[in-house]
Amino acid sequence: MKRKTIALLGNPNVGKTSLFNRLTKLNQKVGNYPGITVDKRIGSLKANETEYKIIDLPGTYTLFPNSLDEEVVFNILSNRSNEDFPDLTVVVTEPSSINRGVVIYQQVRELGLPAIFVINMIDEVDQKGLHVDYTALENYLQTKVVQTNARSGKGIDQLIQHFDIELKPYFGAFDLPQKYQNALKDARQLFPLATEYLTWQYLAQDSVSSLPPEKTAALQKIRQSHQLDTQELQKDESISRHDKVANDLAPIISKKENKRLSITDKIDNLLIHPVLGYVIFFGLLFLIFQAIYSWAGPLMDGIDTLFASLSDAVAAALPEGPLSALLVNGVIAGIGGIVIFLPQIVILFLFIAIMEETGYMSRVVFLMDRWLRPFGLNGKSVIPLMSGAACAIPAVMSARNIENPKERLLTILVTPFMTCSARLPIYIVIIGLVIPDETFLGFNLQGITLFGMYILGVLGALLSALVLNEIIKSIRKSFLIFELPTYKVPDWKNVLNTVWEKSLGFLIGAGKIILAISIILWVLGNFGPTDRFSDPETYIAEANPEFSQEEIDHEVTAYKTEYSYLGYLGRGIEPLIRPLGYDWKVGIGLLASFAAREVFVGTMAVVYSLGEDVDIEDEGQRQTLFERMKGEINRNTGMPTYNFATGISLLLFYAFAMQCMATIGVVKRETGSWKWTLIQTGFMTGLAYLVALVAYQLLK
Amino acid sequence: MQNNITLDKLKKGEKAIIHSFKSNELPAKFYELGFTPGTAIEIKHIAPLQGPMCINIIHQDSLIAIRKKEANLILINKI
Repeated sequence: MKRKTIALLGNPNVGKTSLFNRLTKLNQKVGNYPGITVDKRIGSLKANETEYKIIDLPGTYTLFPNSLDEEVVFNILSNRSNEDFPDLTVVVTEPSSINRGVVIYQQVRELGLPAIFVINMIDEVDQKGLHVDYTALENYLQTKVVQTNARSGKGIDQLIQHFDIELKPYFGAFDLPQKYQNALKDARQLFPLATEYLTWQYLAQDSVSSLPPEKTAALQKIRQSHQLDTQELQKDESISRHDKVANDLAPIISKKENKRLSITDKIDNLLIHPVLGYVIFFGLLFLIFQAIYSWAGPLMDGIDTLFASLSDAVAAALPEGPLSALLVNGVIAGIGGIVIFLPQIVILFLFIAIMEETGYMSRVVFLMDRWLRPFGLNGKSVIPLMSGAACAIPAVMSARNIENPKERLLTILVTPFMTCSARLPIYIVIIGLVIPDETFLGFNLQGITLFGMYILGVLGALLSALVLNEIIKSIRKSFLIFELPTYKVPDWKNVLNTVWEKSLGFLIGAGKIILAISIILWVLGNFGPTDRFSDPETYIAEANPEFSQEEIDHEVTAYKTEYSYLGYLGRGIEPLIRPLGYDWKVGIGLLASFAAREVFVGTMAVVYSLGEDVDIEDEGQRQTLFERMKGEINRNTGMPTYNFATGISLLLFYAFAMQCMATIGVVKRETGSWKWTLIQTGFMTGLAYLVALVAYQLLK
Repeated sequence: MQNNITLDKLKKGEKAIIHSFKSNELPAKFYELGFTPGTAIEIKHIAPLQGPMCINIIHQDSLIAIRKKEANLILINKI
């Protein structure tokens, strides 16, 4: 069987992803492009006795890159030795933006690549009062023009039939501006094998990552000697190409009237109304979070029951011993601790995917830009920040489409401040312990505190952005430009596919680390260096001669924890956390939390000898844990461990500290820099320590 | 007809033709999305308190949002 690579290229919002899903029948995987972290979507298709590798390139308006996503497109299409270099490029467009599609189509052909032209959403041609002379268009483009409707499947087979098309050599439709000919001549010396247009692209970009440094330096020299500014080169190409395409297409595509925007216009009058727009957006946010809590609850209970019975089954099937304990209390409990967050995460991503698919998300960007700009962020930062309320891992990844490197970095750095679902169980426990269950002005105090923690997360993110904005130097000027697509009914296949990918990303990304850490913790907690650990009964009986056997048995677990490796570690950091009002037992919880916050509750349950499986949703079990924790006396102060001052101090610490290995890993991957990753971890944890310290010292 | 005012001065519902640009600072993406000389535009929405503007590029029937700061670099003739 022959093998061929097909690349899908086009503007954002032309239905390219739907087309990709149709072609590959969801037979696809998401990987990463080497060296950078833009999602690489690859699918496969068998047809025409050929195995096609289909690549869904990130949406772009031009080959000149403005963001990381767009850089990928240029790097693949400009480099014949790239493993993804296509045999055929499929340029996808939709009826109302055919001109823009032609612009990028021409750029591709002038690079020397064969391409065919697809008009997707073809059902809208009539609706929009358009008339297209397809024969004339094919002659003009010197290729096949295929009409498709990716949602209904119309035209897909025809498109596949043309994957093996043999095209005649392309005659460029665009002449490079005369005034740059001399510079271009110099540049051609550097790239004797490249097409003229590729050389021009090299000349018109500040830096091309696929070129060796000496070529980049040589190009820079040419630009200097001819006094060229890359912005101006790109501008001149864009404008003259745009004008030429508009002229050339005028006799081919005729428009009777503009009907397209009328409905979108009416909806926009409401949804981006200067006042109502915000009311609706915040109302929607409130509804989404309401839905997350009311829908996710039963699902989380179900998952909990499932893992509890799985533990029981494994415990019953295996002989009692270290292996069984490791499987039950380490592995299964660890996996259960990850899966339990899935419902909340899936629901939030479902809403976000729907908002993106319908076109509403761009309206949110429009509404929020003005309010995020003073903090050095961008309207597009809204999406990572909102996703951060579920889980920082996919949220950090969603910052990729922010063009400005500084704004993207800032967004990544502050997103982990948002109150993610892993913080919630800790908040519930601590608030339950230190905030009275009373009403104040008709509101439940505990509820208000929890809400306050969410606000604190948002404030933490925004204020840190403000501070970091002063520190980080910007390379490029900040700008914002984006298209507001017409409103559409969501393509449910796309929605589900997105939710699936993001949830899987969380499950695997966070899962690996949480699982590893829970096993390490379990080992540290279940072994000790001395016989105080291996033979606790003797020591307990020695220290408390008055204890009955029953009382001794009761003390054993707690005593073993104290003298396990974990206990030694907890006591080791005690001097550091004493000023915050914590003792070594809380210290163990904190240490464990640096792997992942959600480990805290389970660890506390171990430390207070209740066994691993404390279900915080279960009233009875929660009460037991609460009673035990309330009764704890801090050995250092002689006061209850969980009083108001330590409680607040703990809440603040958890709100700000960077306690998630998986997020640290993702930030490293996304920023490509250990420096920023460490600055972020240090900044967040330092802030947490400071705030908790001040709060405790003031309140105690 | 009012000549050579900048785009950010327009109010909601006003139409204009793009004339030229104050400087070369505007990223190429602006031209690619349709802000080219001779293009007719209409202001559709403006976010409050100096927020972004939503502009209809009439011939391609698309809605593009840009900030006032960049709109200030685009010179237009009102129609």
